[in-house]
Amino acid sequence: MTALLALAPLVVALVASVLTLAVRSWPRFQRAVSVVSALVYVVSVGALAWTVVFAPDASALVYQVGGWKAPFGITLVADALAAFMLAVSAVVVLFTVVFSVPYIDPENQQVYYHPLFHFLVAGMTGAFLTGDLFNLFVWFEVMLMTSYVFVAFYGGARHTAAAVRYVVLNIVGGALMLLAIGGLYATVGTLNMADMAARLGAPGVDAAPVVGLTALLLAAFALKAGLVPFQFWVPSAYRAAPLPIAAVFAGASKKVGVYAIIRLYFTVLGDANVTTEVPLVGVDSPLAFLAPVLLVMGLVSIVVGGVGAVSRKRLDGLLAYSSIGQIGFIVVPIAIAAGTSSASLRHLGVLAGLVYALHHALAKSLLFLAAGTIRDAAGTTRLAELSGLGERSQVFSVTVLVGSLSLVGIPPLAGFFGKFLVFTTAADQFATARVAGSSIVLGVLLLGAVLTIIYATRVWVGSFWGAQSDRVELATLDGLQVAILVGLAAVVVAVGLGFEPVYQFADAAAEAAIDTEGYVTAVGPGGEP
Amino acid sequence: MTLAIALTVGALFTMGTFLLLRDDLVRVVWGVAIISQAANVYLIAMGGIEEGTFDLVPILAGHGHDAGGVETADPLVQALVLTAIVISFGMTAFALVLSYRAYEENGTMNVTEWAGGDQ
Repeated sequence: MTALLALAPLVVALVASVLTLAVRSWPRFQRAVSVVSALVYVVSVGALAWTVVFAPDASALVYQVGGWKAPFGITLVADALAAFMLAVSAVVVLFTVVFSVPYIDPENQQVYYHPLFHFLVAGMTGAFLTGDLFNLFVWFEVMLMTSYVFVAFYGGARHTAAAVRYVVLNIVGGALMLLAIGGLYATVGTLNMADMAARLGAPGVDAAPVVGLTALLLAAFALKAGLVPFQFWVPSAYRAAPLPIAAVFAGASKKVGVYAIIRLYFTVLGDANVTTEVPLVGVDSPLAFLAPVLLVMGLVSIVVGGVGAVSRKRLDGLLAYSSIGQIGFIVVPIAIAAGTSSASLRHLGVLAGLVYALHHALAKSLLFLAAGTIRDAAGTTRLAELSGLGERSQVFSVTVLVGSLSLVGIPPLAGFFGKFLVFTTAADQFATARVAGSSIVLGVLLLGAVLTIIYATRVWVGSFWGAQSDRVELATLDGLQVAILVGLAAVVVAVGLGFEPVYQFADAAAEAAIDTEGYVTAVGPGGEP
Repeated sequence: MTLAIALTVGALFTMGTFLLLRDDLVRVVWGVAIISQAANVYLIAMGGIEEGTFDLVPILAGHGHDAGGVETADPLVQALVLTAIVISFGMTAFALVLSYRAYEENGTMNVTEWAGGDQ
């Protein structure tokens, strides 16, 4: 019976999308249904997290769809890692859907905003929960299809142009993913992740062909995560989408890509070994292949995102570039974890990546929503036309300040722990197992942190200090929107102050991510159909 | 047979990539459609290709009873490709509708002349 709990968030999201579609003739009712569904979603994720992580007899929940045992059926696996990612996105989802009600104009909400929003949530939830590689592809597509519509939402010249670029890029990414999945099926003989992990981890099995095929998957996942060199779609798509949706993209959708990288390489391929000599690569495990590739992608992302954010003229463009850089901060410790042979450093690296992902989801969605409030009130997000917002509304300014300071990493906000753990990982590697480039990693991380301070300061000095510009003088900030922002800012502060249980949760998630054996045992592939 | 399939997949990818890199939007949409189909053909080939004979029905031969030592095609990849076809069909339809709207808004089919700018 408890195994059904693994299904709960998925069912809630799917039912919510159908319901909001069915009741669209009653707009007020539809909005209420949408918000209540988001609340129920949060409750179901909370119950799931409690059962999987915090309860006295906590263990991973496995649901075999249709009663078909793994590896023959599709398996849904809610372990600590999936629960952690779900919890992160649930917070973002709740605040953005509530924020959308006063932000998006009523006609647009009525037509398709709410159903699509919940389909997007369903896509993310499915991707986090599935234990089957092809099913992961399907959930990715569910998530992407709704995001295409959101990028083209306003239907103007700029929006449709951004949407076409986004669609073409992601269809090609989807084709790559399909190629990799087909190849993996042909070489390993299964698509169930646990079964694949068991087969590849068996002694004497050579995982050499898997390295190249999973590299294709890495490209597809990095495209979703918006890592350099796959970041080109990010700024235009984020700017074209409605700002609450940009908050979901930056806060939750991108994390699906990061999650998939962790799940695939650490959980599924964690025990795999390469025994043959692979020309040009020369590695002894898929993780050893991932480490340098992901490290370079992460470091370049930090620089590109930081420099790009410093030079933007608009707040939303700045935030979009900033999220490219912040994804770099998430994957750098994960890359270090992949490259190390020490079990404790591997654990710390994954943990740092997860905590940073949590912090980024909260802070960046807060800032995107705040940008929405500014656009709604002042009619623009051009930094040059904004100044003196601080005088206009102190409460609003404080929420943005909290978001910016968290992004910079000031204690006791959530961002401090993220930055702290990322730097601890890098410093640990520098101190204990120094390899070529350890100091460069630390240097780039520091540069990224400085760039973050620069662009956060730029926003603050540019739009909150100084005399009120004409637009700001005429602006009226929506009280309800500001109240929602205050709520989200309170979460950022609360996560920082009450970090102990959050750390416990992330710790369990990191443990689940690298515990291949535990994952295989929980799913138990090899049963009779 | 295997060689023929390999050549087909190669040719489809070549064609798709060529079209994808054009300026004209319709060609780009054609390109992504062909690339999706190439991936589908590749996927079906991953189940192992068995040349059909008079006593061999590709899927049903081993269904529900012993196949009697006859090699049959893998039904799983066929299930996968069916899903993939539906997805790529939906994507292509959406891409075409989106292209038309993008053409109306931007006034040209040449993607290099479109509104851009991420400032």
